[in-house]
Amino acid sequence: MKRLHLRRVPALLLVATLAVEAVAVALSWGLEPRYDTVLYAFYAVIVAGAGALIVSRHPGHPIGWLFIADATFTAVAADLAQGWGLRAAQQHWPAGPFAEWVALWSWIAGGPLGVLTLLLFPDGHLTRPRWALIAWANIAGVALLVPGFSLSPDIGDLFVGDRNPYAVDASWRSALLTVGMPMFLGSLVVAIVPLVQRLRRATGVERLQLRWFVFASMCAVVILPVVALLWSVAPVVRPLTALALIAMPVGAAIGILRYRLYDIDVVISRTLAYGALSVVLAGTYAATVVVIGAAVGRGSDWSTAGATLAATVVFGGVRHRVQDIVDRRFNRARFDALQRMTTFLDELRSGRAVPEDVERLLREALGVEDLHLLLLLPASELTVDLAGVSVTDDLDDGRRRWPIRHAGTTLGTLVAPAELAERGSLVPKVLDAAALAVEIARLRVGLRRQLDEVEASRARIVAAGDEERRRIERDLHDGAQQRLVSIGLALRHTQHVLGPDVDPDVNQTIDDAVAEITVAIDELRELARGLRPAHLDTGLGPALRDLARRAPLPVEVVANGDRYPTEVETAAYFTACEGLTNAVKHARATKVVLRAFHERNRVVLVVVDDGVGGAIAQNGSGLAGLADRVAAHGGTFRIDSDPGRGTTLIAEFPCAS
Amino acid sequence: MRVVIAEDQALLREGLARLFRDGGHHVVAALRDADQLLDTIAHEQPDLAVIDIRMPPTFTDEGARAAHSIKQLHPGVGVLLLSQHIETAHAVNLVALGGFGYLLKDRVLEVGEFLATAERVAAGGSALDPMVVANLVAPADSGPVGRLSERERGVLELMAQGLTNTAIANRLVVSERTVEAHVRHILTKLDITDSEDGHRRVRAVLAYLNSAHHT
Repeated sequence: MKRLHLRRVPALLLVATLAVEAVAVALSWGLEPRYDTVLYAFYAVIVAGAGALIVSRHPGHPIGWLFIADATFTAVAADLAQGWGLRAAQQHWPAGPFAEWVALWSWIAGGPLGVLTLLLFPDGHLTRPRWALIAWANIAGVALLVPGFSLSPDIGDLFVGDRNPYAVDASWRSALLTVGMPMFLGSLVVAIVPLVQRLRRATGVERLQLRWFVFASMCAVVILPVVALLWSVAPVVRPLTALALIAMPVGAAIGILRYRLYDIDVVISRTLAYGALSVVLAGTYAATVVVIGAAVGRGSDWSTAGATLAATVVFGGVRHRVQDIVDRRFNRARFDALQRMTTFLDELRSGRAVPEDVERLLREALGVEDLHLLLLLPASELTVDLAGVSVTDDLDDGRRRWPIRHAGTTLGTLVAPAELAERGSLVPKVLDAAALAVEIARLRVGLRRQLDEVEASRARIVAAGDEERRRIERDLHDGAQQRLVSIGLALRHTQHVLGPDVDPDVNQTIDDAVAEITVAIDELRELARGLRPAHLDTGLGPALRDLARRAPLPVEVVANGDRYPTEVETAAYFTACEGLTNAVKHARATKVVLRAFHERNRVVLVVVDDGVGGAIAQNGSGLAGLADRVAAHGGTFRIDSDPGRGTTLIAEFPCAS
Repeated sequence: MRVVIAEDQALLREGLARLFRDGGHHVVAALRDADQLLDTIAHEQPDLAVIDIRMPPTFTDEGARAAHSIKQLHPGVGVLLLSQHIETAHAVNLVALGGFGYLLKDRVLEVGEFLATAERVAAGGSALDPMVVANLVAPADSGPVGRLSERERGVLELMAQGLTNTAIANRLVVSERTVEAHVRHILTKLDITDSEDGHRRVRAVLAYLNSAHHT
């Protein structure tokens, strides 16, 4: 309740100021220069409005209350008092000269409010504690100057009655004036120094926010003392006071409205959008009632229904447009940021942008370099950056995190400096707009990671297969083959023991058995070679030569004795096997050349035949399997096989050495 | 003939030992790996060491490396390497030393031929398995190899297997003088000049094998 009550105060004071000014204008109207009446009233209304706005957004903000206090004080003590004084003199109302007297020194009494505004604008804090001295000096100046000035007989010509009714002719009064005036004006002028320093230190948006107010204040602190000194001497300069004073709240208002000072744009833009919309709707409604009324008769249900329909139709179409127009005028930063995002999504759809650019776009749209997107991968629940690298979010780095959501799913987190939070709904709105792009980027990153994992596992499977072939080959050589030799030796020994006189049939049987064993050993050797040629143990070159030797057509091998990693040698060997098989089976080749060499961190294997050509790596064919095998090692595979021009297979395997 | 055997498989080791004993030879030691081989050779000074190429601990080329050491330390000891398959690199490096043979393991089943080869190696001759030779000679279609005629290549193949001119003549059913002529032509075509070195035949085989190996 208390909070609600407090929030109403600025609004009440704004209304009160408006009412007071209305009365003041009415009272003064025609009795003083028009500019005087209008400009000061205008000044009070702007300051009161700005103050109310600031306090509505930031309850308790010193600048808001300073503005409200200044406006209320000016309205009552300066404008209303002066109006009363003038009108009273004409209408013979009571207390006219007193009111005139109050109005004459009210500008001095309001001085500390101005000085505090200069010192505290825009955040309500002094940049350095010692600047408080300026405010105290001004208050002391006011304390001396108010009696020194208000009791002076010299200001008599400013009264309607040409006489200061409270004049005191005493030397202490002149002394107060002599000491108070420099203190008052001096502190007013010096108060600009911290403000200018603020501007010089500010960067970016903050600088834009301060610029107009500082400029206006500088003009004011130059003009106001000069005018104060020349007030009686040269009345022609008097309007400058009003202009200089008005410039300050206007400068502040520019900062607030155009550059989102105090983050007020949202309030304004909504108010203006719905205000403008209401006018359009009311107009539509009224016009429809009139038109339909003229056609079907007044008071008809048709006209009401038609008007409602028209207003509804207009509302749907106009709302966005009005909000758009208002946003353009009053919410540049958000408007531009959202506009950028919309353009980006269009480019994304048409393929002119990639979703991974979303991070750069967010940096540009929010005007922050130090900004990162962390994506939450759906399957693994890993946190990764846009490059797909797994990262751990350091939550204690002093930056702020905004969740990014789309269709009820958390996509990730935006990590950016905490200051961005001061820009209110800007970040959530922009993130809403960017969510689709983030979602696409996230899915792509997830896919890429899964693809990497699949490739790695494929390489592991191939390596495991090769290792298994190697193991079986060893087992055949060292196990089965050796055992067969042993059995053969045992049979030969039996033969020896039986001696030459044994039944020839027995001898023959043993010889046949040994011959069978020899054939079995040969078969096992061929089987083992097919699994993985033992020649690979001595290198790719010997293995290729062994392959060439057993081929049913002339095969030239061009390879030196260089050794490469086992898996590369194995893969290259099987590539050669498959190429050779293709040349024999399909290409009707008469000659094949196998070349293996090392070049620029790659082992290259080339199989060239002089056959019919036209080979393609179809699904399920040996060549397709070969392409898979090469890819599993991170290599590349190419077939040049124009019909009638032979076939060239080129496989390249990454190999650092 | 005094023989040392190094073979990791017990059955085969025993079978080999028996084979030599049945053939009237004296097996002075049968070892399970290459560790004790050099010491045993130094101690026994056998005529022949029969070594399995793959032995513990890595089952790659322990036997081949042991053979190398033996030929360097005891050039007089014949070395016969046995393998389940052909690894030409070892053969090419060792055959130049003489008193060296390299055979597929299953050759032992042809007892007569095997023992003859073993004796030839023990006597300082060379022997390469026909498969090894075929492996090295077959792709010979360029270099000095290409200059040989088919018949000359056949003769060289038999030379590489360690056969004497007489044996080659018998095998090819030609006169010994014809074989001598072929050998002369081969040596000329391979630029192997006459010298005091008694191993011209081995050098011819080597030049041949090397040219094939480094095509």
